[in-house]
Amino acid sequence: MRLGVFLLKRLLHSIFVLLGLSILIFIIARVMPGDPARLALGPRAPEWAVQRVRESMYLDKPLYAQYYYWLKDALHGDFGESLVTRRDVATDIKEFLPATMELVLFSGVIMAVFGILLGAISARYSNTWIDNVVRIGSYAGVVTPSFVFAVLFLLIFGYVLHILPSIGRISSGVARPPVITGLITIDGLFTGHFAAVLDALKHLIMPGVALALGGMSQEARITRSSMSDNLRKDYIAAERAQGIPERVINLKYLLKPSLIPTVSILGLDFAALLANAFLVELIFNWPGMSRYGINGMLRKDLNAIIAVIMVMGLVFIVVNILVDLIVAFLDPRIRLGAERSK
Amino acid sequence: MKRSLVIGVIGLLVVSIGLVCWAGGSLRSTFAWPTYADPAVGSDYSSSSTLVNLYDSLVYPTLEGSVKPDVAESWDASPDGLTWTFYLRSGVKFHDGTELTAEDVAFSMDRLTTIGEGYGYLFIGRVASTEAVDKYTVRFHMAETFGPFLTNLVRLYILNKDLVMANLEDGPYDDFGDYGKKYLLTHDAGSGAYTIKEFPLEEYVLMEKYPDYWGEIDPDAPDEVKFIATTEAMTVRTLMANKELEISDQWQTAEGFATLDRMEGVDIARFYMGGVFFYMIHTKRVPTDCIHFRKAMAWAVDYETAAALDESHPAHGPVSVDFPGWNPDVFTYHQDLDKACQELALSKYATSDVLDCIEVCCGDDGCTTAQERICYRECWDKIGLEVDVHWCAEVPTEEKVALLFQANMAEIGIKVNVIRTPWMTMIDEMADMEASPNIETIYVAPHYPEAGSMLESRYHSDSAATWEQNEWLLDWIFDAAIKDAIATVDIETRFAKYRDLQDYIVALCPSIYLNDQLERHAYQSYIDWPAAKGNVIKVMGYNMDARFIKVLPH
Repeated sequence: MRLGVFLLKRLLHSIFVLLGLSILIFIIARVMPGDPARLALGPRAPEWAVQRVRESMYLDKPLYAQYYYWLKDALHGDFGESLVTRRDVATDIKEFLPATMELVLFSGVIMAVFGILLGAISARYSNTWIDNVVRIGSYAGVVTPSFVFAVLFLLIFGYVLHILPSIGRISSGVARPPVITGLITIDGLFTGHFAAVLDALKHLIMPGVALALGGMSQEARITRSSMSDNLRKDYIAAERAQGIPERVINLKYLLKPSLIPTVSILGLDFAALLANAFLVELIFNWPGMSRYGINGMLRKDLNAIIAVIMVMGLVFIVVNILVDLIVAFLDPRIRLGAERSK
Repeated sequence: MKRSLVIGVIGLLVVSIGLVCWAGGSLRSTFAWPTYADPAVGSDYSSSSTLVNLYDSLVYPTLEGSVKPDVAESWDASPDGLTWTFYLRSGVKFHDGTELTAEDVAFSMDRLTTIGEGYGYLFIGRVASTEAVDKYTVRFHMAETFGPFLTNLVRLYILNKDLVMANLEDGPYDDFGDYGKKYLLTHDAGSGAYTIKEFPLEEYVLMEKYPDYWGEIDPDAPDEVKFIATTEAMTVRTLMANKELEISDQWQTAEGFATLDRMEGVDIARFYMGGVFFYMIHTKRVPTDCIHFRKAMAWAVDYETAAALDESHPAHGPVSVDFPGWNPDVFTYHQDLDKACQELALSKYATSDVLDCIEVCCGDDGCTTAQERICYRECWDKIGLEVDVHWCAEVPTEEKVALLFQANMAEIGIKVNVIRTPWMTMIDEMADMEASPNIETIYVAPHYPEAGSMLESRYHSDSAATWEQNEWLLDWIFDAAIKDAIATVDIETRFAKYRDLQDYIVALCPSIYLNDQLERHAYQSYIDWPAAKGNVIKVMGYNMDARFIKVLPH
């Protein structure tokens, strides 16, 4: 019941957040310089053709009216037509979002698993050469933008060693599995297209790791710091005094509470992957939504810009709700605190 | 002997396997996106290159700038130039096996002019109606005489009417619904040498050879053509190094091309397509509203260095050198600071105070020493004339040229403010005479291979308020003259008029013509590319016609 109320409250908040976001981005997109219709059709297109596009997008109406029409259509799942791809933005999102989600999920898994693992190892071997290596590596990972890793990997694994494919999600000669989720690896597993799964994984390695390294380093640093703090707590000393095996102490009593700050940051980092994916998608010619969104901004593709931002906002909200739930699961004080406040 | 025979057989087998592996070579090229495969929508570089491979047109452009028969075997025009009749060849098959007829040609023209996008502007207002006279004869009735009509027909890509009509969806074109626009986003309806195999939008377009193609096709032409949606420098270099890319896009930086050139087996193709790099001078804004002021600037520019920054040659007037209709005798400025100072002294901004000051500084012999020049500049500084130059933020080379221009102008006492401006802001400010700066720096390419295209789009009053003209020339004499030239059917007479108009424009000095736009592409030495050997068709996209590009064994 408590969980239900919590979820309901968060969902209600989310509606207002999304509404505010839509108003903000709607205004920003429309005050950017340039006539989107003219940009799309070119300088020599006759005025009547340009006007037809303006009318179809309600650009000849006042700003509030434009927003009203947009909201009305959006509530029916119609986000308008992209001026760049010339098809429904909803269709574009449906095609490009899975590509980005596949990349981001892959990166997210690397970020979480290796980040926590490295952090735990670093804390376990605190102030040894292992710890120092992890710490220096983490600093380097945090301060280096993902596109630098992308270029570096492309240079090493694509150019010099030539062992990984440089661009795209799947090789031209490999048959794509039937679309179920849009994620080639998952669809391939569901439908038994293992050649496609392997090929897609090969395509995922470079962009996925490049994207994950920053967040992974962040998680490693936070996990290490949190575990080091907890290691000095009395309850750990008490458990050691009781003769509880070290493995159990580390996994059950040390790691679990130490993960709370990591998981909180993990949620934000995961959502940030969506935005950071742009340059990585550009470098690896990855047909994802981040690249689509940024290209939309450069070409003043109004409907695409708003839809992409709204989808990203939605993903951000969902991830944050999930993070709150996980943190509540990990930390009984939060659950108990919620109960007491009632 | 036996051993040699075995080795020989193995060798032959290896060579055969190699050849089999190579057979069906592919041509891959990177492009700036988006690409549209719909002939009524696409008109940029990647779309044009795609359309050329997917579709046929009535006529085909030649190296000399004229046209030759393609789907049309012959044609004739009425004496008044208002009716054009084309006689089609029989047996031309669309990719679904149906025959191309006059109905399809008429449908394609109607569709292009109704939708109004892509290359529609070349025919809108000029073609009044179309008529399929019989199965192999199509007639165009013109609303006005239009000299380059035949040349422009290279942009009428012929669609399979039945296929398009079978794939209509709801849309704004009444009985024609969406006119097949959604279907043609990812499919083709053409009869060209290649047909779409895969087209994931925003990623690549993959085309495969059409086995029943009626026309000429080189035996070594690639079986597959893939245009890839990236211009990212590192990606292009990696693909090129791995031999996963045959021809690069043209948007790499000079440093990028130098790196590509150093790769083994990679060469750089350099050719001119008719584009010119303009400094568009606002003729209605202070102080560039004065012709002598503009001429002073034109005399002060170091053209050789500016062109070298772009690895090109200095331009000769508003039309690219050797472009059909170019005037080889057009007056051309070169750097001459004395003449620049003389022109500046004639400008309406050279007040008596300034002239007196200059005379005190330099005497009657002119400013020859460094100290005299400093004094001369200070004289001009007193009246505080400034020129704003907006260069396009998306084209880094323009900054170097703008800084050179700033230094050149400082030599004659003109203060230049160099301002980095995003492209969309440039478009916005050029839409308003009051908001347009003194100078916008822009590359402009002609829309069709005739000087008239460049002259009309750059200086006709209809182009004012578009990004193709910052001059705000608004010269009704020129407007009438260019319309008259374009309406002239006889090509010699038309070109003579173009040449006169180039003289007329240069005399007004509304622009500074910096350099012809050099198009560069890195390409693999195992491809035999006519454009790289100097056989350049000056119509955008036609140099990427894959049926004439050989992919050799490698």
